[in-house]
Amino acid sequence: MDQQNTGELLLDWQERVGAARQERDPQSLLDMIPYAAFIGAEVKVDDQRLLYWLDKRPSNIGNPSLPAIHGGVIGGFLELAAAIEIIYNLNVSDMPKVVDFSLDYLRPGRYRTIYASCKVMRQGKQLVNVSATAWQDDEQTPIATARCHFLT
Amino acid sequence: MAFDMKMALVRPALKFALERNGHGAALGFTLDKLERGETHLTFPYREDLIGNPITGVVHGGTIVSLLDTACGCSAMTVQNKPSVTPTMDLRLDYMRPAQLHKPIYVEAKVYRQSSNVIFCRGVAWQDDRENPIAHCVANFMKVDSKSIQFRSIAMKRLRRLMPWRQASVTDSEQN
Repeated sequence: MDQQNTGELLLDWQERVGAARQERDPQSLLDMIPYAAFIGAEVKVDDQRLLYWLDKRPSNIGNPSLPAIHGGVIGGFLELAAAIEIIYNLNVSDMPKVVDFSLDYLRPGRYRTIYASCKVMRQGKQLVNVSATAWQDDEQTPIATARCHFLT
Repeated sequence: MAFDMKMALVRPALKFALERNGHGAALGFTLDKLERGETHLTFPYREDLIGNPITGVVHGGTIVSLLDTACGCSAMTVQNKPSVTPTMDLRLDYMRPAQLHKPIYVEAKVYRQSSNVIFCRGVAWQDDRENPIAHCVANFMKVDSKSIQFRSIAMKRLRRLMPWRQASVTDSEQN
């Protein structure tokens, strides 16, 4: 993509981010990202926080004999959730760049809906640290936790 | 290197399981090399996996999936009795954004295995292996359970395909 086109896309993106914040509609941000549609991630405003969820679908299975959700899908979902959390809640105009991503698997992800929520741990001048947790039946028994750094 | 009989038997089944099932089939990568404790795979650029609508760069989650698959595959084959290995943790460092319209190559290697844990390292690159787009370390548990060994899983599948042989297969497994 050439420079001018990127500039136009950035302006369009900023417009949409502003509209999404105003209308309290984070789902419209997810709709802009093709990867979100690929894994089937969705989001809604729940009380004071954003609640993300990932309905089960056959293309997300990693181990067909259990069956269990692919570890990479859980990772990608949490990374996506962390990025949306930053775009929606913090005052950033561009897409945040992921620097590192660390994921701990606590339980196998069964073939059911996965929920996730994120918390911004620190926002510095350039770096943002976000922690994300994923669970299935009960929020107290998480299946994975992730910690990631983004450059904004 | 001597001919590895066990790998020769496991390789086609594992290749089929990873490339044609679930998320592996959805991503559409190809496993180029599958040795004991070493996996190479190639992934083409796909527009439906874009994570950044402004620049068109592939989403980081895709790279997580590729590296998790490659590291997991290396960990599975390194054991005496190949079996599914649950991932304990995975850490990814993104060195640079992936370039558009170019395939991503992934290489993963087991660098140490203890009695309980398998330590694995992976790297993803595009043009130059010395300038990778991402590095990853992943640790896997060795679980000594028959139900997740490749052999038992294959037997279970076989039994489902041939219900009339159910009794004889169960007998041979017990011996």
